[in-house]
Amino acid sequence: MSRLQAAIAVTRFGMGARAGDIEAASSDPRGWLEQQIRPQAAVMAGVDGMDQLQSTGDVFAARMRDVAMSGPASPGGATEAQRIIQQRIQREAREGLQREGEARARFGAATPDAFAERWARFWSNHFTVAARNGEMIGLVGPYEREAIRPNVFSSFSRLLGQAVFHPAMLIYLDAARSIGPSTEIGRRRGAGLNENLAREILELHTLGVGSGYSQDDVIAFANALTGWTVNDPRMARLIAAGRGPARRASAPPAGVEPGAAIFIDRLHEPGARVVLGRSYADVGREQAALILEDLAVHPASARHIAIKLARHFVADRPPESAIGRLERVFLETRGDLSALARAVVHLDEAWQSEQKKLKTPDELLVSAMRAAGPQAVFGAAGGMRTVYTSLAQQPFSAPSPAGWPDQAEAWSGGDALMKRIEWADAAARRIARGASPVVFLNQALGDLASARTRQAVLRAESAEQGFTLALMSPEFQRR
Amino acid sequence: MDMLHRRSFLISGCAASLVSLAPHARADTVRGQKLVVIILRGALDGLAALPPLADSDLEALRAPLIDQKAMPLSDGFALHSAMPGLAAMYQAGQAAFVPAVAGPYRERSHFEAQDLLESGQVARVSPDGWLNRALVRAPAAYSAVSIGPSTPLILRGRPVSATSWSPAALPEPSEDTLQRLRDLYEADPALHSSLDAALKAEVIADGMTPGMSGMGGGGRAGLAQYRVQLEAAGRFLAVSGGPEIAVVGLDGWDTHTGQNQMLQQRLSALDAGLGALRTQLGETWDRTVVVAVSEFGRTVGVNGGGGSDHGTGGLAMLAGGAVKGGRMFGDWPGLKPAALFENRDLMPVVDMRSLFKGLLGDHLGWAPADLDSYVFENSHAARPLSGLV
Repeated sequence: MSRLQAAIAVTRFGMGARAGDIEAASSDPRGWLEQQIRPQAAVMAGVDGMDQLQSTGDVFAARMRDVAMSGPASPGGATEAQRIIQQRIQREAREGLQREGEARARFGAATPDAFAERWARFWSNHFTVAARNGEMIGLVGPYEREAIRPNVFSSFSRLLGQAVFHPAMLIYLDAARSIGPSTEIGRRRGAGLNENLAREILELHTLGVGSGYSQDDVIAFANALTGWTVNDPRMARLIAAGRGPARRASAPPAGVEPGAAIFIDRLHEPGARVVLGRSYADVGREQAALILEDLAVHPASARHIAIKLARHFVADRPPESAIGRLERVFLETRGDLSALARAVVHLDEAWQSEQKKLKTPDELLVSAMRAAGPQAVFGAAGGMRTVYTSLAQQPFSAPSPAGWPDQAEAWSGGDALMKRIEWADAAARRIARGASPVVFLNQALGDLASARTRQAVLRAESAEQGFTLALMSPEFQRR
Repeated sequence: MDMLHRRSFLISGCAASLVSLAPHARADTVRGQKLVVIILRGALDGLAALPPLADSDLEALRAPLIDQKAMPLSDGFALHSAMPGLAAMYQAGQAAFVPAVAGPYRERSHFEAQDLLESGQVARVSPDGWLNRALVRAPAAYSAVSIGPSTPLILRGRPVSATSWSPAALPEPSEDTLQRLRDLYEADPALHSSLDAALKAEVIADGMTPGMSGMGGGGRAGLAQYRVQLEAAGRFLAVSGGPEIAVVGLDGWDTHTGQNQMLQQRLSALDAGLGALRTQLGETWDRTVVVAVSEFGRTVGVNGGGGSDHGTGGLAMLAGGAVKGGRMFGDWPGLKPAALFENRDLMPVVDMRSLFKGLLGDHLGWAPADLDSYVFENSHAARPLSGLV
């Protein structure tokens, strides 16, 4: 029984089995998961290519150098030199994003603490930012490493604050350009309030849709968030422009790194706020943070997070018992994420032998790399990118602020399945070299592999076909 | 010639060994002989491809699996009617058969059997293949090509002049693989209905009508790959300065159910592929031997699904202008109960290694000592099959 439990621990709670993982977990499957509940376990480290990755500060420093090199925009459009610089910037950004995706995939494939990794990816998806344009493309990787990973075992309140006030989120959900309408700068430029971030925090990150907040709450919260922006040349120009005739870019505030999130008082809409019936005094910079703190421990947030976690670890339509248990732990611990992770581990509903969750493409590919080595994905013609593109889950490219869907129907269409089969068939040809699909099946799925699947793999007409069947078996497609 | 140029001779780390062999050796020894090794993965039912119609026990043992239109050849054997091209080659003395052949392996796992067939070992699979070892001790500056996305075990091992090539588009999952997945998904209704939806869409996209199996009856590229791959092998071998040896692996021979229809399609595709290979080779065909083998044969009896299960003795097919054809090689052990292996399988009478040693020695000039002790280790007892060329 504990062998089956070990296989569940490794594949459902973790990111899939590497050779020997199921054995390692079999003496105490729950303990094996609990020992991963350490802040360091979710931090990316020790991966090839990591030294090539940039921080948010690096990205903006480079951006500033490029702006300086490019010179002022001329009324007749970009000069030839500016076009060349622009092309280089775009190319470097694409390459940077590619490196980020590869490092993330390699870490997912290699980390021994794969429950911590799943936990980190869950929160990264919960607080989605996406590489939707040139401005965002360099920030998505640093965001996950800086705001998400170090905080996934602290408190929900802290994680929320780190995510919301990271430059990537401020830009992604337009808060960096949201300006208090009654401020001098706001008046000059017309109404400058942008509700996007405030609305998505309420709808997606904390309370959840339909939990009872009103449009007035959204506007009040959006006003509280004004003033928070990003220390970059464009913002500096905007602020300078508001000052009157002087149109030169002003130097960034002393001691603030390029690209850092900053609070600019002159962009903040002054005044007290009422959000969800609670008043917040006119304290400027701290106003939004105080609202966030209350949202982070709100009962609706507890329920919203409990539903999402239960959906992720139990079933697409999770039972109320599981939701209720997580909701209570959230409320009792005021959103202690380590306590919540432990509660997930001890959720009996999550240990059923039936594999109810269909893996997303990313989960499938990472689990394949863990079981069969990186060539399952990186060996493809065109590399990792073609595989992820074909399966429609390019890293850091979620289609909306709601993140990637976590329900089977989003991923189980006929064409999507055929793309998985085509990938598996090609991957099988690479990984079958001298390897046995029967051994692979045991290492990857342990006691989860059904007699039917074992027999199909055993009876395959070639090792390649055996690997295709193993990778595409219901037990490997699910978790 | 586009195909050749696209990825022409992507020689993997082997340029050095090409150079290191003295060029004059090539001129002296190589007379332009070529060898094509076809591995029919999944285990061909030799008794269905080459039914021994004169064997009085055949009808009683497997009546449903006998092709009623099989074309009589000689010695009491007939060839499946899906292979008229090969039958014509036989009549012209350019094809031959070894009707009861197997490697030393006596279990029935496809993987193990294929690995042993390719590594040329008796019991334990080695990380190198027998063609790789053969190239290490080649009598001249021979090189080889494998057609397919990865180098098969038969050519893996030490750096030798071997290259590989595959069609630009990734091969699509075979119809057989899809059918097996469909069976596997009987236990998972959601995946099952997704797969059916996908297959229906493909059938429409291909402009095909669903066949009896509901899978589009060859609508997938699987069987068309036979011809593509054999044609590619022909182009490689025919080009001036091209390799002497080509390896082609053709999947899809594991006919546990609906065997008659499956074999009709596969043998027909193989026959077309051999014809295309011959066309590509042109005058090189006269100096070529094509040998097609499987990891093992299939049960003599018919199973409950209108097919046959994993067996032992199987069929090797030989074709090419260099073959001394129009004849059968090796004895026929017969199908009497006492003659069968473990009461169910055709008893092999020719060791697969003997067949390969005969070809390497007589056709391509390998030294017998190298064949006995290096290419096929400790294989003195498996005497080379003589008279093939």
